[in-house]
Amino acid sequence: MAVRESYKTTGFVLRTLSYGESDLIVTFYSHDFGKLKGIAKGAKRSKKRFANVFEPFSLTNIIFTRKSRDMLAFIESCDIIDHYHAIRQDMEKTLIASYFIDLTDHFSPEGKKNEKVFQLLRDFLLMLGKEKASDATVRFFEMRLLKLTGFEPALEHCIVCKTPVTNGNSYYFHAGEGGIKCSACAQPQRYEQPISAGTVRTLLLGKDMDIEKIKLIALTDSLAAESRSILIGFIAHVLGREVKSLKVMEQVRKLCT
Amino acid sequence: MKAYAQPIKKLISELGKLPGIGEKTAARLANYILRSTEDDVKKLAESIIEVKSKIKLCRICLNLTEEETCHICHDTTRDQEVICVVEDPDALAAIEESGGFRGTYHVLHGVLAPLDGIGPDNLRLGELVRRINEGHVKEIIIATNTNVQGETTALLLTRMFKEKNIKLTRIAMGMPMGGDLKYIDKMTISKSLEFRRGM
Repeated sequence: MAVRESYKTTGFVLRTLSYGESDLIVTFYSHDFGKLKGIAKGAKRSKKRFANVFEPFSLTNIIFTRKSRDMLAFIESCDIIDHYHAIRQDMEKTLIASYFIDLTDHFSPEGKKNEKVFQLLRDFLLMLGKEKASDATVRFFEMRLLKLTGFEPALEHCIVCKTPVTNGNSYYFHAGEGGIKCSACAQPQRYEQPISAGTVRTLLLGKDMDIEKIKLIALTDSLAAESRSILIGFIAHVLGREVKSLKVMEQVRKLCT
Repeated sequence: MKAYAQPIKKLISELGKLPGIGEKTAARLANYILRSTEDDVKKLAESIIEVKSKIKLCRICLNLTEEETCHICHDTTRDQEVICVVEDPDALAAIEESGGFRGTYHVLHGVLAPLDGIGPDNLRLGELVRRINEGHVKEIIIATNTNVQGETTALLLTRMFKEKNIKLTRIAMGMPMGGDLKYIDKMTISKSLEFRRGM
């Protein structure tokens, strides 16, 4: 019989699923094992063993056992490192943090370690807690996550004629082909919305810029709308479905403005 | 299950659909039903059908009721100016059991859950807005759960009604009665210090 080995790691709670009367199946994004699914026995009933630990986007210390890599982990214990209290006190920030973990969940295959994705989540949640929630934060998180998971859109030059992005020109984003085309190559239809070189440059800038400087960037309304339409469209195309938390975020925004 | 006659098999499979009931428990319940008197079995069957056909939502607070309005909204001795907003009828029942509240309720029938795609459009907010707009409400007590989803819902309600001329309050968070500090998690302790009260 295979022996259960015990492991220890830190991880963000991505989502929980009710299992039976009193158990929870919890998905983490862990530092050492990437996306990790485990069962927490009695988590719904016992408030002592797993008190308040399985809340979305909480950072936790996890001790678990499992027989083999492809089996559900058995969560022995789980302690909170950070609840992100400042995020939880602000509705906008909670919705953004939920979107971050929703995207991370969608873009991460189970059991594939990626320390950079873990660090990205950690950095952005920390920043979200400290700074004002902004469109730039959300867009730059999307850009970075796409880059780290291998889905970075080609924005540096036109994907057909390879001419680098030049100021003043208009571009068209083609989600299916994963990049931008200049107006000469795109042969745009009337309904297609052009995007400005400024938007393209901003997204490129946000992809690699120092995390400390992101708070200094404020997108104008047109820049925010354009970059949003590119990235949301591209993410929906790559995933082949809508991201639920984004839909909720929009509903709330509509209701509260 | 092979050994059972067809009607018993059917009953076992129907009972097995209930939450927390596996095949063995379902078989035990089916055998119990089989041994019960015809009168008892009829009462059970009728009560199941009755619950489905008679229960509807209260026109005012959306609590489960068999009348147009529930017994709480109907009760004129209760304070109609205070509304306690809860997630579901179970939460309402829990507060009622405590006996500590004499106002009225509003049941949201859900809570904001971004990861499950449940947004404000999926909550029963319209009826609450209408009651507030009628102008008789003085206080809203937000009694959603104290987890991330409940807190976000509370923040949403606060945002929606802060402009109205009503008092918005949130149920207290902290130490449970009879609790022992040694065994309480750190977030609960920090909340109980944050919400401490003067003596």
